[in-house]
Amino acid sequence: MRIITNNLRLFWQGTLLSYIALFVWLRPTTYIASKVLMPLAQILFFSFLGSYASGGTNVDFYVIGNAIQIVAVSGIFGVTLSIGGDRWNGTLPYLFGTPANRMMLFFGRAFMHIFDGALGVVIALGWGALLFGLDFSQTDLFALGITILVTTISTCGLGLMMGCLSLITANVMFVNNTVYFLLLIFSGANIVLETFPNWMQIISQMLPLTRGIASARLLISGSSLAEVTPLVLGELGIGIIYGWLGFYLFKWVENQAKRKGTLDLV
Amino acid sequence: MSIKNLFRYWRTVITVAEITLRHQWNDSFILFAVLIQPMVIAILALFMLRGTGDNYAMFVIVGSGLTGLWSSLLFISGNSINGERWQGTLEALVAAPLPFDVIIFGKNLANVVQSLLSMTASYLLAALFFGYSLEMTLPLLFFSSVLLSIFAFISFGLIIAPLFIMYRGIQQWQNAMEFPVYILAGFLFPIALLPGWTTPISYILPPYWAARALHETSTGAGDLSTIIFAWGMMLLFSFIALFVASKLFKLMLYKARVDASLNTE
Repeated sequence: MRIITNNLRLFWQGTLLSYIALFVWLRPTTYIASKVLMPLAQILFFSFLGSYASGGTNVDFYVIGNAIQIVAVSGIFGVTLSIGGDRWNGTLPYLFGTPANRMMLFFGRAFMHIFDGALGVVIALGWGALLFGLDFSQTDLFALGITILVTTISTCGLGLMMGCLSLITANVMFVNNTVYFLLLIFSGANIVLETFPNWMQIISQMLPLTRGIASARLLISGSSLAEVTPLVLGELGIGIIYGWLGFYLFKWVENQAKRKGTLDLV
Repeated sequence: MSIKNLFRYWRTVITVAEITLRHQWNDSFILFAVLIQPMVIAILALFMLRGTGDNYAMFVIVGSGLTGLWSSLLFISGNSINGERWQGTLEALVAAPLPFDVIIFGKNLANVVQSLLSMTASYLLAALFFGYSLEMTLPLLFFSSVLLSIFAFISFGLIIAPLFIMYRGIQQWQNAMEFPVYILAGFLFPIALLPGWTTPISYILPPYWAARALHETSTGAGDLSTIIFAWGMMLLFSFIALFVASKLFKLMLYKARVDASLNTE
């Protein structure tokens, strides 16, 4: 019982402190600019581009796709910086020196970003309703909430894996930005997946967000939770796979760093 | 900044641009801003705008190249003074016996010229990967538009750098300033799609006139009179930007000397 309590305490403290550490140097304006206005600008750009492409007939497709894709801001950038922050701030050797449960320590880094990312999607969908008249009258809001939460979890899974890369490469912002923009293509946020060549469709199916975006589009157009359950479960499964891959990469990095004495090497 | 200084110190401008280019080629973020991001936007737009007209591929190439130009200007030129501050070279540059804005002009020249790679990369992507047969409708006028656009973007960038350093609050919005200019300048879709109240904002942005001139000369959408009009507006707003920038640089250096805040965060 005591072990469980200690691990939960470790999980919660790691969660809270890594999140606070990430944003403590920021002013509220920076948070608003990054998490509210930047997503709004992205939604506006791709929705107008989509409106131009479709002659104004299919704007909801782009609004929903980009609103859900916004979880990648928290899932990729937030989680990666939470993990990589230990390296940049010089606390990685202390972290690797503790006897703390690695699983609690690792997955704790993503926990707050799940809620933060889900909040970002709600704000983005709100922008969609306000500016583009996105209609939720047919939507099962509970099911949409589950879809948003699961999509955020799966994107954070990818973020955990990317975060481990930030422990072994100095070009983390290059990798993060590239992945974020590639998700704009492959997730189907802006393009109907069926128009892709086969190899691109295969990549799409191996990534988080793809099923989450498809599920959100179906739910907003009136589908039920039962109809989108396979998509939601698939999205969750993808996230768990990436999360576990990240965890094993994290352990491998720790092992290699200790063996070679390369902690904090940039 | 006066045009006279540009001619007087042209060798300084070229040297600064050369050193900046050499320095920046080791930075992976520049690789992302100049090559990766515009190519991703080009791929997205090529898929999305498929079938919207005869010259849509050329429209996308120019538009996505312009996104690379603006992102590079915003993030790299915007931080050009801060970059010197972080490296501890700002005091020496300010104390050098030549106008400080001439140095920043040279840095912006390097950023804008290297950003032209965005357009080249998008062109190669569309031609090789998507198999488009691309033909420039008015090549000479397009080339002239490129030269004027370089001047327009550099001039616009000269306003951003001192603003970012004097008013840190503005720099906090840097991430949120990228897409709005893509939208307002009509890089990838006409501004006629936007609400009417945004049109005057578009008109005072030099990137809007650059986009118009480049799109019209590359796709043949405009006649000579509309192209010359776009050039004229581009030059007008570039000179206004240079005038405003000269005042901002004076104010920035004055404040730095009075507050002794040249190298403080």
